[in-house]
Amino acid sequence: MPRWSTYQVPIDTGLFTPLGLQPTAIFRLAFNAAGGWLGRYAISHRRLVSEHRTGFVVWSAQFIAGKPPSFLEGDCLEVRVVGRVRGDGTQFECEGEVSGASGGTTRMQACCVPLRLDGDPALSGVPARLSAEVMAAFLPDEIEARPYRSPVPGMQAAVAIEGTLLASGQMPFTIHRHQCEIADQWFWPEAASLASGAREELVRSESDGDPRLRLGLATPVHRLDLVFNRPFFLFDEGAVRSSAYDWQGRVVFIHELIGTTDDEARAIAIEQFTPGDPLPGPLYKGERGRRSWH
Amino acid sequence: MMVRVSGALLRFTDYRRIINVPAATVEAGLTELAEQYQPLRAVLFDRAGRVRATHKIFLNGEQLQRDELTRAADDTDSLDLLLAISGG
Repeated sequence: MPRWSTYQVPIDTGLFTPLGLQPTAIFRLAFNAAGGWLGRYAISHRRLVSEHRTGFVVWSAQFIAGKPPSFLEGDCLEVRVVGRVRGDGTQFECEGEVSGASGGTTRMQACCVPLRLDGDPALSGVPARLSAEVMAAFLPDEIEARPYRSPVPGMQAAVAIEGTLLASGQMPFTIHRHQCEIADQWFWPEAASLASGAREELVRSESDGDPRLRLGLATPVHRLDLVFNRPFFLFDEGAVRSSAYDWQGRVVFIHELIGTTDDEARAIAIEQFTPGDPLPGPLYKGERGRRSWH
Repeated sequence: MMVRVSGALLRFTDYRRIINVPAATVEAGLTELAEQYQPLRAVLFDRAGRVRATHKIFLNGEQLQRDELTRAADDTDSLDLLLAISGG
């Protein structure tokens, strides 16, 4: 049986928007949960880096939200997570859930690629299979031969072909240190932050022309898929190139995070919004949840 | 030779992004750079003194392979030094 880890996270207002959990917070919780699972059941991330010269870089991540929890419904969120190795040791995947007191659950998943670190202070590395020593820390049920495949390329193509383009735009950015992790490389959940910002700017500037875009401000993200091609580093300049589509009754935003110097998509984020998705419960007793996206 | 440093390498050059080094070859330029910025030495070179494979090196926009670092260079050339990926 794969080993699950379940624990409570005290909530604070910074985890939330008025619409539910912050997308970036969900991914931060997921990364933290994966690190906690590794430390509890296999080898801690710190020991992987310092003793096994093994690092991880997140290659793919997603969440699918149920009824979003609100800040006032409980003092804690419950996080459940399980880890596994996939693709003959070329991937580490974690799956989990974040639940509020009222039972609304967001399912999250992230897939990392192991790196063999070169041993230098910059923590540079190259993709490599996990060593036999590290693999031995996983139970047989936690090792799957089949590699994980990101749904992003297929989804991006389907939306672009089948969907109706509503609007597009571009938002520049520079990566600063508060957006980075220990190696001055961007902390991957920042992709969700940058995508969110670009979406909000697109809605602000274009929704007078197409009110359907307001779904991207008035409802929580129902589903967010990320895939990473290569990282941004400290002071790297880039832009989020965003396109909004009407696709299968949803409003879908496709964001390509491109480097200014190479114009290549270093990451792709696909956000989906569904009309009628539930909003969080009322903030105060007696207040009714309101919908106002039309 | 003008060396452009970026990203995760900046903290090893005291956050200087453009550094001019006198050198006749790319390899000599990198050695001189590590001489001027000692913390960069362990990042740039392995224990055998070879440039680590985790760096990408571009001479005037052309990516060089490890066996091309003896390429001649002068004051008019520019070198871009990029770290491909970190495992933090």
